[in-house]
Amino acid sequence: MKNLKLVNEIQTLLADLTPELQSHGLLRSLPLKLFLALLLNLIIAPTVLAATGGSISRLNAYAIGLLGLVTVGLAIYLMMVMLQPQRF
Amino acid sequence: MSSSESSSLTTSSTIPPTRGPRYSRHHTAKVNTNGLYARAIRESFVKLDPRIMVRNPVMFVVWVGTIITALTTIDPNLFGSTPGKNQYFYNGLITVILFFTVVFANFAEAVAEGRGKAQADALRATRSDTTARRLSPNGLVQEVSSTNLRKGDLVKVIAGDIIPADGEVIEGIASVDESAITGESAPVLKEPGTDISSSVTGGTRILSDELTIRITADPGQGFIDRMIALVEGAERTKTPNEIALTVLLAGLTLIFLVVVAILPLIANYRGNPVSIATLISLLVALIPTTIGGLLSAIGIAGMDRVAQFNVIATSGRAVEACGDVNTLILDKTGTITLGNRLAEEFIPVNGHSEKDLAQVALASSIFDQTPEGKSIVGLANRLGAKVDFDETKAEGIEFTAKTRMSGTNLPNGVQVRKGAVDAIKGFVRSRGGALTSDLDQAYERVSRLGGTPLAVCKEGDVYGIIYLKDIVKPGIRERFDQMRRMGIRTIMLTGDNRITASVIAAEAGVDDFIAEATPEDKMRVIQAEQAENKIVAMTGDGTNDAPALAQANVGVAMNSGTQAAKEAANMVDLDSDPTKLIDIVTIGKQLLITRGALTTFSIANDISKYFAIIPAIFTAVGLGNLNIMALASPQSAVLSALIFNALIIPALIPLALKGVQFRPLSADQLLQRNVYVYGVGGIIAPFIGIKIIDIIISAVGLA
Repeated sequence: MKNLKLVNEIQTLLADLTPELQSHGLLRSLPLKLFLALLLNLIIAPTVLAATGGSISRLNAYAIGLLGLVTVGLAIYLMMVMLQPQRF
Repeated sequence: MSSSESSSLTTSSTIPPTRGPRYSRHHTAKVNTNGLYARAIRESFVKLDPRIMVRNPVMFVVWVGTIITALTTIDPNLFGSTPGKNQYFYNGLITVILFFTVVFANFAEAVAEGRGKAQADALRATRSDTTARRLSPNGLVQEVSSTNLRKGDLVKVIAGDIIPADGEVIEGIASVDESAITGESAPVLKEPGTDISSSVTGGTRILSDELTIRITADPGQGFIDRMIALVEGAERTKTPNEIALTVLLAGLTLIFLVVVAILPLIANYRGNPVSIATLISLLVALIPTTIGGLLSAIGIAGMDRVAQFNVIATSGRAVEACGDVNTLILDKTGTITLGNRLAEEFIPVNGHSEKDLAQVALASSIFDQTPEGKSIVGLANRLGAKVDFDETKAEGIEFTAKTRMSGTNLPNGVQVRKGAVDAIKGFVRSRGGALTSDLDQAYERVSRLGGTPLAVCKEGDVYGIIYLKDIVKPGIRERFDQMRRMGIRTIMLTGDNRITASVIAAEAGVDDFIAEATPEDKMRVIQAEQAENKIVAMTGDGTNDAPALAQANVGVAMNSGTQAAKEAANMVDLDSDPTKLIDIVTIGKQLLITRGALTTFSIANDISKYFAIIPAIFTAVGLGNLNIMALASPQSAVLSALIFNALIIPALIPLALKGVQFRPLSADQLLQRNVYVYGVGGIIAPFIGIKIIDIIISAVGLA
C-alpha cells in the first residue's frame, strides 16, 4: 500500500516537472535522460518483483528492470537510425 | 616526418610517363607507414567513447552488450540464477571476446583513417609557408607570408620560388615543376590567356623565368588543402549508399534484438532458462557485425584509392556516382587532343601567294595572345613576313564564341580577320567580296588531315587557310575501347567543323561526336542524356566547359584547365588524362561491390552460428540434435561462435581496404560470381572456422 502511494506521488511529480524541464531545454541532455531512466526503473522494478511473485531477489528485479529499459532504449535508438540516418 | 619530403613524391625519371597498363599509371604515394598500426591500436581504444560508438548502430549494440556481460561477470546471478558451471569464467570470457569484437571494428576504421592521414601528412609536408612578393596596386613589391595572401592579390614569382598559392597566370611565361602534386618531374609550361596552361597550384616550384599570378584561392582553400581534407577523412559525411546500408543494418539489428529479447520468455516457459550472457552472445553472433565493423573502413579506403590515382574528388558521392556512369562527354581540344594547336602550314587561295597570306595572317594575329595566335606569328615570321603598320594605332579584335573570328583593325581602317571558315565567308560576303572554290578545297584538305582550318581575309578578299595541327593524345584509343567494354558510351563535343571532328573521332575511337558545338550545345546534350535517366560524366578543361561540368552528374576537370572549370567540377585529374574516368569508375564500382560482398558474407555467416548456438542453448528441450558440427559442449559452442565472429573482422580488413578486385565482366556475371564466393563461401567458411576453434578451445580446456 505504502509502495503504491509512493509510486503515485512520483508519477504526479514527474508529470508536473516535465513541461518545466522541457522549457529549460534540460530534457535534451544525456545525463538527465539517464537519471530519468533510473527513476523510471524505480517504478518498473517493483512491477517486475510483483510479476514474478517474489521468487527473485530485489537486486534481480532492479537489474532486470534496468535491462528491459536498456533493451527498449536500444530498440528506440535503432528505429531512430532507420528513420533519421543523417543524424548519425 | 622525415621521409615526407617533396622528393618522396617524385618519380625518378624525367621522361614523360608511358600510358601502360593500369597499375603502372597508379601513382602510389610514398607514405610513411611506420607506426601506423601502433597508432591505429591506440586509436581503437580511443574510439570506445560512446559518443563515437553511437554512430555505428551494429557496434553500439555490441558495446552495450559488452557492458552488460561485464556486469554478469561480476555477479552471474544478477539477472536471476541460471544453470551452468564456471559462470564467472564463462561470462568473463564472453565479455573479453565481445570487447575485442568492438576493438577490432574500431581498429579497422583506425587503420583506414591512419593510411589516409599518412597520405595527408606527406602532402602537407610539400606545403610550406613561403614568403610571397605581393604587387600592390601602385606597383610596389611587398614581401608577405603566403598565409596572408587573399583571393585577387597579385604576386610575382621568379625562378626558384615556390608558388605561394593557387592562382591564374596573367603575365609572363615560365616552366613549373608540378611534381609536388602530380608526381611528375617533367616541367610544365605556364603562360597566360590559355585554357590549358594558365592555372598554377600552390606548392609547385617555378624553374625558370618569372610569372605574375593572380591568386584565386584563400589560404586553406587551395588545392592541396582540399586533397588533404579529402584523404584525411576529417570532414567525412556518409555517402547516400553508406546511409542506405546503415539503415539496412540497423533494421536487421532491430529484428534480431526483438527476437532475442522475446527468447527468454519462451525459454523460461519451457523450463529451459538461458543466461543473459548467452542471450547477448546469440544477439552479437546474429547481427551483421562483420559488415558493421568494416563499413566505414571500406569507404575511407575507397577515397584514398581515388587520391592515389592522382584525382582530387570533393565528395564521396561523386566517386560513387561514377560507378554508375553510362555516358562520358568529352571536349576535343585539350582533352582528347594535346590542345596546343600550332600553325603548320599556310595555304593561299584566290590567286594570292604564300608570302601575301603570311603577311595578312601576321597582321590578324599580332594582338592574339593565344598559343595558336603566337604560333601563326611565329610561322609568318619564319616565312619572312613583317609588320608593315603602326601597331600602336591598330586595334585588336578578340575572338568570341559568337563571331568565331578574331583579327585586327588596321590604322588605315582596313579590317583583317581570321577564324572559322564559314564565319569568314560570311564576313567576306558582307564586304561584297567573292568566294572561290579553292577555298573549300583547301578547307576540306585540312579537315581531312584532322587539323583545324582558319580562314584569313582582308576586307572582302580571302587570302587563304592556316592549317592548325592538333594531335590526339597517345593511348586514348585503347582506353576508349576499355570504356566501351565497361558499358560507357563516349561522345566527343567540339566547336570544330564536321570533317575535322569526324577524323579526330575516328582516330580516337569515340562512339559518337557532335561538331560545331557551342557551349549551349554541351549543356543541351548533357540534359538530353539525363532526361533519359542516364548518368552523365563530363571531362573538360576550359572556362566554357564550366556550366556543363556543373550540370553533369560527374564533372572531371583537367588540372591543366582553367580555375573556373576546376571549381565547377566534382573532381580534378592532376594528370590531365581524360580517360582517368575509367579508374574512377572502377573504384566507384569497387566500393559498391565490396560493401555488397561483405554484407552478403556477414549475413550468410549467421546460418552456421544458428547451428552452433541454438542447439547449445536448448539442449534440454531436445534441440541438441541440431548440433551438426558436433561441438564439444554448449559453452564451447557459444565461445567458438563468438571468437569466430570477432576474428573474422581483422581477417577481412585487407579485403575491405583493398576492395574486391574489379573484373571486367557484365553485371550479371559479376553478381553470380560474387554470390558464389561470398554467399556460398559465407555459409561454408564459418562451419569450418567454428569447428576448428571449438577443437582448440576444448583442447586447451577453456570450456
